[in-house]
Amino acid sequence: MTTASTGDGTAGGSAPLAQDQRSGEAHLERASGTATAEPRTTRLHMSDIAKRFGAVRAIRHADMTVDVGRVLAVVGENGAGKSTLIKILSGAVIADTGTITYEGRQVSIRSTSDAMALGIATVYQEPQLFRELTVTENIFMGREIRKGGRIDWPAQTQKVVDLLALLELPPRYATAVVGDLSIAEQQQVSIAKALAGDANILILDEPSAILTDAEIEVLFRVVRRLTESRVSVIYISHRLDELFRIAHDVLVMRDGRTIGTYPIEELSVRKVVELMVGGILTDTKHERKIDPETQPRLELAGLGRRGEYQDVNVVVRPGEIVGLFGLVGSGVSEIADSIYGIDHADSGQILLDGRSVAPRSPLHAQRLGIGLLPADRKQQGMFSFQSIMFNISVGHLTLLSKLRVWVDRVRERKVAQDMITRLAVKTPSENQPIGAMSGGNAQKVVLARQLVERPDVLVLAEPTQGVDVGAKEEIHRIIHELADAGTAVLVVTSDLPEAIRISDRLQVVRNGTTTVEFGPNATQVDVLAAAAGDVDGQDGRAKGAA
Amino acid sequence: MTVPTLSEPEATTPDEQSGAPSPERTESVPARILRALLTQRIVLLAVLVVAVVVYFILLGANGYLTANYDFDYMSAALINAVPLALLGFAELIVILSGRGGIDLSVGAIVSLAGMIFGFAYGQWGWPLWLAILITMVVGAALGLVNGILVAYIGFPALIATLATYYAYKSLAVVINNQRPISTRPIQNLYDSTARSVELPLIGSWIPNVPKGIFLFLLPTLVVVWLLLAHTTYGRRAYAIGTNDVAARWSAIGVRPTRAAAYTLSGAISGLVAVVTVGQFASARPDAGVSGNGMALPAITIAVLGGVAITGGIGRVSGIVLATLLIVWMNAGIRLAFEGNAGPQNQLLALGVLLVFAALLNGFALRRYGGAG
Amino acid sequence: MSVDVAERETPPSGPPETTRRRHRVLAPPVTGQEIVLIGVLAALWAILAFATPAFFTPSSIQPLVASVAPIALIGIGMTVVIITGGIDVSVGAAIAVCSVITAKLILVQAGQSLPVALLVSIVVGGLLGLLNGVLIAYGRVHAIIITFGTANIFLWISLKIFNSSTVNNIPDTLAPLGNGAAGRTLGIPNSFVITVVLAAMAWFYLRHTAGGRHFYAIGGDQLAAQLAGVKVRQRILAAYLLTGLLVGLASTFVVAQGSNLGQNVGNGKELAVIAAVVIGGTSITGGRGSVLGTVLGALLVQTVASGVTQLGWRSELSDLFVGVAIIIAVGADLIRERARSKR
Repeated sequence: MTTASTGDGTAGGSAPLAQDQRSGEAHLERASGTATAEPRTTRLHMSDIAKRFGAVRAIRHADMTVDVGRVLAVVGENGAGKSTLIKILSGAVIADTGTITYEGRQVSIRSTSDAMALGIATVYQEPQLFRELTVTENIFMGREIRKGGRIDWPAQTQKVVDLLALLELPPRYATAVVGDLSIAEQQQVSIAKALAGDANILILDEPSAILTDAEIEVLFRVVRRLTESRVSVIYISHRLDELFRIAHDVLVMRDGRTIGTYPIEELSVRKVVELMVGGILTDTKHERKIDPETQPRLELAGLGRRGEYQDVNVVVRPGEIVGLFGLVGSGVSEIADSIYGIDHADSGQILLDGRSVAPRSPLHAQRLGIGLLPADRKQQGMFSFQSIMFNISVGHLTLLSKLRVWVDRVRERKVAQDMITRLAVKTPSENQPIGAMSGGNAQKVVLARQLVERPDVLVLAEPTQGVDVGAKEEIHRIIHELADAGTAVLVVTSDLPEAIRISDRLQVVRNGTTTVEFGPNATQVDVLAAAAGDVDGQDGRAKGAA
Repeated sequence: MTVPTLSEPEATTPDEQSGAPSPERTESVPARILRALLTQRIVLLAVLVVAVVVYFILLGANGYLTANYDFDYMSAALINAVPLALLGFAELIVILSGRGGIDLSVGAIVSLAGMIFGFAYGQWGWPLWLAILITMVVGAALGLVNGILVAYIGFPALIATLATYYAYKSLAVVINNQRPISTRPIQNLYDSTARSVELPLIGSWIPNVPKGIFLFLLPTLVVVWLLLAHTTYGRRAYAIGTNDVAARWSAIGVRPTRAAAYTLSGAISGLVAVVTVGQFASARPDAGVSGNGMALPAITIAVLGGVAITGGIGRVSGIVLATLLIVWMNAGIRLAFEGNAGPQNQLLALGVLLVFAALLNGFALRRYGGAG
Repeated sequence: MSVDVAERETPPSGPPETTRRRHRVLAPPVTGQEIVLIGVLAALWAILAFATPAFFTPSSIQPLVASVAPIALIGIGMTVVIITGGIDVSVGAAIAVCSVITAKLILVQAGQSLPVALLVSIVVGGLLGLLNGVLIAYGRVHAIIITFGTANIFLWISLKIFNSSTVNNIPDTLAPLGNGAAGRTLGIPNSFVITVVLAAMAWFYLRHTAGGRHFYAIGGDQLAAQLAGVKVRQRILAAYLLTGLLVGLASTFVVAQGSNLGQNVGNGKELAVIAAVVIGGTSITGGRGSVLGTVLGALLVQTVASGVTQLGWRSELSDLFVGVAIIIAVGADLIRERARSKR
């Protein structure tokens, strides 16, 4: 790659943008750069892509065009297929059908090294760096510059310094140990690493999720510089307002299909949301009458944790299902962690039936009557080579035992069998190891663990992520049953239709704090717009409050 | 967006299966047997035990052995099974608890606790039951040190138990100035704890069995088995070994459970100390660390017995079968070779078995998604 | 821009400061842990010199330094192995194999010369290491289990060759590598000099060549290393092969130290080597470490052993101190890591 100009932060031309807040549309004066002036050259084109995993069609039909020197934003809800499409591009997944052409000639990408050979580099949310080694070593790992038998440190450092300058990092970072850097800095190192490999298609996966506003500015300047050097950038983000500052084109995916690619000038945040959501109507809702005078079972008052969320206010009454909807990086999952005692808030209060509590650990939370279904099933929920029965009873060992020590196998088996029936888990027996089960079935088992003793408060984090439609229905049914029986339910999710369907009240979390609250008649467009940045003048006001 | 995997593209979606193939898939009988052999360690071990015993009986029948490999001999050889299986249980509990769990210090605990037993029973004249109790308590305390280092402070188990191995080993020698304790009560212990006896009732039909089997091995076997299979502690141990993040999220106290595993290992080592003193009729300062020490054979038994080195998998039956296999195989080798070649070849057999078992574990894991 | 090898500075907290226009390219050549070790060693030597005047005499220092040599030498290989995230507990048994072959077959029976003995020992060690390397790199099994197994196999081989008797009357062909006057140049045992030279070469290799840095990458994140193009399997194989070769060389030092060789040679040495590596600051989880620390660690362990004897204490107490040293060294490391991740 050509060494870009160093040090000059305004190389891309950072014309300020004007945003008309009242109408909810963002007018733009973006950095003009080279975008509209020059004719477009297509660098890579994917057409007729389809991919299925087992019975699930992750991508039904997708086309994508990546042009030289332009930023292509890829948007779509969870499950729309955009992650799969990007994985196909980066070689992590092989498409079932479709063709890929690169600079006119047909290529096949069957592995990550194929993709890298074509100059496609990906920067993930989790930096894949060697924490004990320096930035220079990380960038040059596997492609060291040598002189005689030894590494040519001066040459490497010089190149790294140049790259760092592009990213507006001072030269001394070249010799910094990666483990000592902040997450944002590590992300910048990942970008540098991608660029060092002569990337000409750079994929950025939700880069702004972990950045402060100032760091986002730097990122945008970097991206603009890159496009001026003819690098193509694919920018995946849920933060739609950002797209209007950085993207040239937007590719919208919905339900496994590419709906279309639109120049940014033709769009507004609302328009993008409408395209993403496609006007899907919410089904008839389960009407629930909750007396607003009832004392809340769970209340979060001004809850904050430095660096993660602040001033969070949520109220959940017994028998109510409150949804918390937030996009990646909004801080919503950290809030759930604090309620359950995994982390601790450092300001504000958690109130249980009016009493202030401070759950110190999951065990403590459980004793307080709080249950939680973890977001990451595989890492946090499943004991994969153990049986269904084990997985259910493991959360309630003292309950299912005699004298707290002797496991009551008869009772345990009965509970497991009851749960299997109640949750319609597809399995020949309660002894089947959970690791072999499908996502939906496994999730039901992990959920069952929370239901052995009906909790007073149940927090469900991403309850139907990676779950098939049928199991999703059943899980929602259980959630309703729980609420009907008097549990205060808090559903924390980034699945928009689910959030709307299941909640009696839905609160949006954005930038670490609770914002707009919606009633049962919220539309997907409104909620997503609120979460993605277009507040529509509704700050703090509930829309269609129950 | 997840990170791409090494050899295959990642497929993470709703209905994709992970791990073992569904049991309903039809397989031919030979394929089923092979799968059982490779994945069910108990089956494989049982087959091997029978094979080894039959092999040596045949060898004996054809005159290749220096003495009779008969049931009497096999039964007498069981005296070695007692300390081996006991320490195998200790390693089972520790390795099961996960996070790289291992206990290199068991032999050193045996030495040090053995000296304490020597003092208590051989010099201070305490009653036997009290001396045994205090020895096990001492062993538990020594194990607790390991437990605190690993579970609360965060030392890798290998390092922590390596360090305590050194420390306890030296204390065992220093504590009595390198002198063993062989006073009269200790000497009489052989008769009371190690000698082979005829069983009541059925004794005339089966060979004499070393007392240690009944006094120490069977009770401990029952206790450990009940502990792991039937108590809440056992469930917690398997949970933290399988996935200690999920265990935390399931409101399990990960640290106390893990520390307890090392404490139990220490307690069992204390019991082995008593067994060893009885067997040699002397409390020796280097009892557990002479030669290659006791930790290596114990860990070998555990790995052979199907315990996964990463935790969460392992059963008492595996330990028992692995011990029988090793003990009877060693007994046969001793008869098959003259002089020193016997003990030497036992080493070879042990080493080859271990490598083979480990490779098998790895293969089974990859092919079938798990070994049980 | 150059690397200032003699620089001794405290490790950076956050990105290091620029010093004029010269940038330090890597983490400093001497880490905090090593500085502490040097300090502790210096203090120990001072105390011992004070407590027993006999300590600083050549007749006490020379054997000490000579005894460090085999441990530190094998420690070089063990450091690389542990950096990649593995471990090798078979080195003790491997010492037995190499030394008995050298002593019995080459020297006593065949009466060969020093170069031949050296070559044979190193080759045999290399073969043993190669076996470990192949099983671990390509068998995809945990190193600790494999090497427990090969330890037994090696022990069997050695006992077979020993044939139940001590090897006696070993000719002094290897004297230049031994403890006696012939084994010293300018008062320093040759074995130690060889060790230091090889350690320096290893240090250079680990710091300044791509292959060396790849070991660290493998230990840090094996998957990421492979994705970056590191030849993971070959590197892992090389680590164990190197250890084997060094075991072969170290075994000649061991043989040279006496005219007899007992069957229990090498017994427990693997633990001493691992202790030296760990005390020296190499992390058992991989990705971090240096041979300088290992040499210092070996020096510390042997100093303690020698000091205990000199002071007239029970020699077993040195084991106790080694155990404590391991706890302190690794504990300090743990605390440092925790402080760093909290930032």
